Amino acid sequence: MTVLAGRASRQTIVGTVCVREWREAIGNKLLVGMTLFPPLIILVSGIFAVAAASLYPPSERDLRAIYAAAPAVAGLDPKEAVQGLIAQYFLILFMLIPTVVPLTIAIYSVIGEKAARTLEPLLATPVGVGELLLAKSIASTVPAVLVTWFAYGIYLFSVTVVGSQAAVNAVTAPRWILAMIVMVPLLTALSVNLGILISTRVNDVRVAQQIGGLVVIPVVALGIFQVTGRVVLDNESFFNMAITLVALDLLVFFAARLAFQRENILSRWR
Amino acid sequence: MMSRLRTPTASRARSGPRLDDVGVVLRTDGLTKRFGRVLAVDRLDIEVREGEVFGFLGPNGAGKTTTLRLLCALVAPTSGTAELAGLRLGRDDARIRGMVGILTEHPGLYERLTAAENLRFFAALYGLDTATASAQVERFLRLMGLWEQRGDAVATFSRGMKQKMAIARAALHEPRIMFLDEPTTGLDPDAARTVREFILALRAEGRTVFLCTHNLDEADRLCDRIAFFKRRVIRIAAPDELRAELYGRTTEIRVMPAPLPVHLERVLGTPGVSEAWLENGSILVRTADPLHTNPALVRTLVEGGAEVAFVSERRASLEDVYLRIVEETTP
Repeated sequence: MTVLAGRASRQTIVGTVCVREWREAIGNKLLVGMTLFPPLIILVSGIFAVAAASLYPPSERDLRAIYAAAPAVAGLDPKEAVQGLIAQYFLILFMLIPTVVPLTIAIYSVIGEKAARTLEPLLATPVGVGELLLAKSIASTVPAVLVTWFAYGIYLFSVTVVGSQAAVNAVTAPRWILAMIVMVPLLTALSVNLGILISTRVNDVRVAQQIGGLVVIPVVALGIFQVTGRVVLDNESFFNMAITLVALDLLVFFAARLAFQRENILSRWR
Repeated sequence: MMSRLRTPTASRARSGPRLDDVGVVLRTDGLTKRFGRVLAVDRLDIEVREGEVFGFLGPNGAGKTTTLRLLCALVAPTSGTAELAGLRLGRDDARIRGMVGILTEHPGLYERLTAAENLRFFAALYGLDTATASAQVERFLRLMGLWEQRGDAVATFSRGMKQKMAIARAALHEPRIMFLDEPTTGLDPDAARTVREFILALRAEGRTVFLCTHNLDEADRLCDRIAFFKRRVIRIAAPDELRAELYGRTTEIRVMPAPLPVHLERVLGTPGVSEAWLENGSILVRTADPLHTNPALVRTLVEGGAEVAFVSERRASLEDVYLRIVEETTP
């Protein structure tokens, strides 16, 4: 008697699960909307703020404060200086995209399967739960990273069109490009695995989002500390943050792996 | 009209290899599952032979679904073990999952994907190459009468179509053992018939079917043997053996216009008759050897002036058997 089943390679499993998740996600208008809305708001606000800065020059007093807070723009034309400062600070808000967007996708990925009761047939295949978790993580991480990079690209282009040279310099500073390349995937992975971890414990997408939303607090805090001058994003702090994120990523993935057990999913997830 | 499977009839399928002649494909040894303080499955000891349709009957909450999950290596046993086609539970779990197919309680399909996309997705996870997957998807969609709807999103399907999709998914990788949990629940008669024919087709191919069902008529028609289960196995036997054991062989004799007490007396005086009574215008006779006793019964009735219209065997329904077994085991 012939049994056709074999062992699918990890690449096949990851590719198959990713394509399936993306096909389903694209068909879910609510999810698409919730995924694209935050980057759109940040992008439009950022472009508008830079453009508006050229229309309304700062007062002498504000200008002195700007020169003091951002030595890189000291001595520049007031409009250029304000645009440079705003362009730079808005990049902090771009770091919210890899925390908010993947969280939504990951939560829908797990809670959606719970609600549709599709996990049992999936777990009945020879695929390992670790491979499944990895595939789900990648399926949520890739679009979020791409959306962030795409938004950054549009922002960069828009600032080039409507902003000053100082604004362009701020947005293309090597540290920010590095942040986009290194920090965005690390933050996304953290958010995704946190979303999966939370989704193993709750059944309601809204509750999961509320809990998961707490992940934006460190990013917002970092932005506030930077604006108020309490934190200076120099090379050393950048490196420390990257190391911390790698450690957190591993820790949360391990915790999600522990929660994402075949038996737990079938007998305890309700 | 739904397309029909080309399958053997029930009687032809039942005349397959004798159970004693074929090997055991599934064997459990004291298989036990506890969830905290709740004992779901208690020292399960069963043997299922290759190529048989094995019915698994029990009331709600008896632990049938947990047993299925144990045997499909989805949950780990608390104690005991099981062997499926030479693969050991706990040691060869991934290989067991590749070798069995399971129809879960809920169809669990991806509603935004089409029928073909759903099956192709699972074919890939079962390790089928692209060409084989395409062939299998077409084969099973055609078998289930869903080929014309292959490009439609599953969300547009009826309950019966989804159930057939789920069965196709379970069979896609040609598993050696199919575990079916309530396969015809909620289906219209036409869809239920397609599913039953599919089960018989699997049996004719020599595949083993482990059938959990509440549908006693279906179990009676399809199963070679039946296990009555309530946390532990109460009885395992072929449906006809259980009937004979619990109810004996009962002959119904219809006398026109109606049987008289004198007819009953003649019947009771016939050698080989253990019990006889009147019921709804018939004489019911229990005998150990109807082949020899029935001709004598007819003879004595005719000699006594009775107009015998029909002589037939009355079969106790599986429902009678089930209820009696459950009653006997309920404290």
